[in-house]
Amino acid sequence: MGLLSLTFHPSPAFNPSIFTLPPHRCHRPSSLAVRATSAAGTPQPLLQVNDLRAKILESGVEILHGVNLTVNEGEVHAIMGKNGSGKSTFAKVLVGHPDYEVTGGSVVFKGENLLEMEPEERSLAGLFMSFQSPVEIPGVSNDEFLVMAYNARRRKLGLPELGPLECFSYLMEKLQLVNMKPDFLNRNVNEGFSGGERKRNEILQLAVLGADLAILDEIDSGLDVDALRDVANAVNRIRAPKNSLMMITHYRRILDLLNPTHVHVMDKGKIARTGDISIVETIETEGYETVAALT
Amino acid sequence: MSTVAFTPTPLNPSFNSHKFVRTKPNRFSLQSKAIVTSDPFVLELAETLEDSLPSSTAPLQKLREASSESLLSTPWPSRRDEPFRFTDLSFLRYSNILPVSQHPPTTTLPAADSTSFLSLNIADGHPVTPLSNSSQLPQGVYVGTLSALASTPIIDRVMELMCAFDAGDLFWSINGVGAPDATVVYVPEGCRVETPIYLRYLAVEGGAEGSKTMRMSNPRVVVVVEKGAEVGIIEEFSAAEEGNDCYWTNSALEAVVGEGAKLTHSYIQNQSSSSAHIKWTSIRQESSSTYELTEISTGGKLGRHNLHIQQLGPDTVTELSTLHLSVGDQTQDLHSSLVLDHPRGYSRQLHKCIVAHSKGQAVFDGNIKVNRYAQQTDAGQLTRSLLLEPRASINVKPNLQIVADDVKCSHGAAISDLEESQLLYFRARGIDPKSARRVLIFAFGGEVIEKLPYPSIRERVRSQIKSLLDPSPK
Ligand SMILES: Nc1ncnc2c1ncn2[C@@H]1O[C@H](COP(=O)(O)OP(=O)(O)OP(=O)(O)O)[C@@H](O)[C@H]1O
Ligand SMILES: [Mg+2]
Repeated sequence: MGLLSLTFHPSPAFNPSIFTLPPHRCHRPSSLAVRATSAAGTPQPLLQVNDLRAKILESGVEILHGVNLTVNEGEVHAIMGKNGSGKSTFAKVLVGHPDYEVTGGSVVFKGENLLEMEPEERSLAGLFMSFQSPVEIPGVSNDEFLVMAYNARRRKLGLPELGPLECFSYLMEKLQLVNMKPDFLNRNVNEGFSGGERKRNEILQLAVLGADLAILDEIDSGLDVDALRDVANAVNRIRAPKNSLMMITHYRRILDLLNPTHVHVMDKGKIARTGDISIVETIETEGYETVAALT
Repeated sequence: MSTVAFTPTPLNPSFNSHKFVRTKPNRFSLQSKAIVTSDPFVLELAETLEDSLPSSTAPLQKLREASSESLLSTPWPSRRDEPFRFTDLSFLRYSNILPVSQHPPTTTLPAADSTSFLSLNIADGHPVTPLSNSSQLPQGVYVGTLSALASTPIIDRVMELMCAFDAGDLFWSINGVGAPDATVVYVPEGCRVETPIYLRYLAVEGGAEGSKTMRMSNPRVVVVVEKGAEVGIIEEFSAAEEGNDCYWTNSALEAVVGEGAKLTHSYIQNQSSSSAHIKWTSIRQESSSTYELTEISTGGKLGRHNLHIQQLGPDTVTELSTLHLSVGDQTQDLHSSLVLDHPRGYSRQLHKCIVAHSKGQAVFDGNIKVNRYAQQTDAGQLTRSLLLEPRASINVKPNLQIVADDVKCSHGAAISDLEESQLLYFRARGIDPKSARRVLIFAFGGEVIEKLPYPSIRERVRSQIKSLLDPSPK
């Protein structure tokens, strides 16, 4: 249908492997001189995070202690790091999760102050995050949820809203893309879904809504080999050349499928190190302690 | 739970001149009882009711006498009485309560909205025959008034049931005194009634909004489902038309579900927002019988449901689901009691309520007694409440009393606002919080609505609840 071809397109034309990155190491990621495409000239920044600090609202404990990161159009970033280092917190702060309060720094998304936007405005602006543990919503069916979210997007784009029936073929197309059975539409959102089904469902939402920047928080955890391939294929197919990805992961397999241009290591609420795919090798042989200490 | 109350009200000096008392057969004993507890307000109410009815309606006479007698010793409940601790009846107490007119109202009543039910209007407590679609009634099934019932064995069966229940309260007795006739649903042994019976209770007479006068009606229904039989009953309560909003429906239904029989009961309370609605449901379940109730109560300034279920034999199945909604200055109250005295009973109770107004209130007192001989009972009770406004109030008292030792029982109670994590999930997908809340609140109630067994009614209830939760849809 391609109704939202502004933000994504279903053609498999994009091949992320055209990025090749020279081994590069630097402290301030914003100084990375990475070219998204050699033809496109200067890459446009999509997300600029500067010295971001955030605490848990309830306890007041600071988790992010000054995160710096820039994602340009078309780039694929990976964030790795120890359990509890703050990766999910970072992602959740970016989408405006109410559990956290930003205490310092700035975030600019597509030239606008992201931190001033409500969570739904961030989503409508083109920011998507797949949750590490998506919540169950009993009593709300997946298709009802998708239609609501899709119509919110259409309203934002000035397009007329569609009824559930009109949306049906569009949803079916997206369902096929992530290789999900149609009966998932009738089930309640995430209710009784297996771990892998929940992850797929997150990607289904991404496929339906599209995004300029998709943050995938451990989309690969708990997926079997086939499911991982399905999810990676779907992500590659729905991403337009100018769209960017930020994936949080512990495993190499998804990195090989999505070919990150940048790999960051988070440690104690900061980006401790940034490089290309080659630092994954070092992490796997020497562990996070060493890699983080190499700063 | 104590039902004994001290009423400091002085004895009505003109007590002996009451016609109400004069008609009593056993004057002396009544008087001595009355000296302890009689309540002039109750006596006056009973007298007015009695005056409003034709003097002899033979089959109901016994019920009236028994009810009058218990009225004499039952005062108007106060907040000090446990069953009314959280439910304030004062607005009724200080209203000018008048009985509805003696005759069935002649207003043209709204026609039944469906051909898929056997529907019977009960206007101001008067069953208005005939029944719609009555050609679909199987042989031997009776749906109609007690006064028009010709079969003596059925009359006897009904009378036997009508006088068997003794756990009622003042309102049960008031109904016994004030019911002009009874609606009887009789399903003979082994008979399966395919088409559900739809009892539409309509309040016709009533004071205008804001008036102090409440018109009171006392509908009474008796359901007998004999051995191995099966029937579905829908009770729906509403005002016949807008404008006569001040009324009090004091309704009572009693049913016996015979051995291996099944009664599927849907109860929809959709009364006007200035009305009082008090209902008794008393069910007796014989062995291996099934009783399923789905209640959706949204109307009334006061809505009170007293539900009493008594197990008469082993292997019964009882499923109770309730959704209460308070979207205005109103109280929804469920007092339920399930008594299990026999082995291998299975019961599930789900109570859900949503209070979406700062003056709204919900009350739940759910008692399940698993007595000594009720071994291998499997009883579950769950109550969940959504409290959406700061000053709204909810009082829940889930209560499982277990005397038997070999039983499986579970219970749970939760009162909360909407889950933040669920709200965020919507917002993170671009959905505004107002729409998200609306969907989540509706989904909370949806669990009960889905249990309504008839699609047309389910749909109607759905859209009605949607519009109550969001009076101005986009
Ligand atoms: N809402 C919260 N309440 C309490 N503690 C929190 C909350 N959010 C994060 N934390 C704490 O902050 C730290 C960082 O958590 P976070 O989920 O960001 O880690 P992570 O890097 O994503 O870890 P993992 O690899 O295990 O997913 C942890 O110690 C966690 O317990
Ligand atoms: Mg995490």
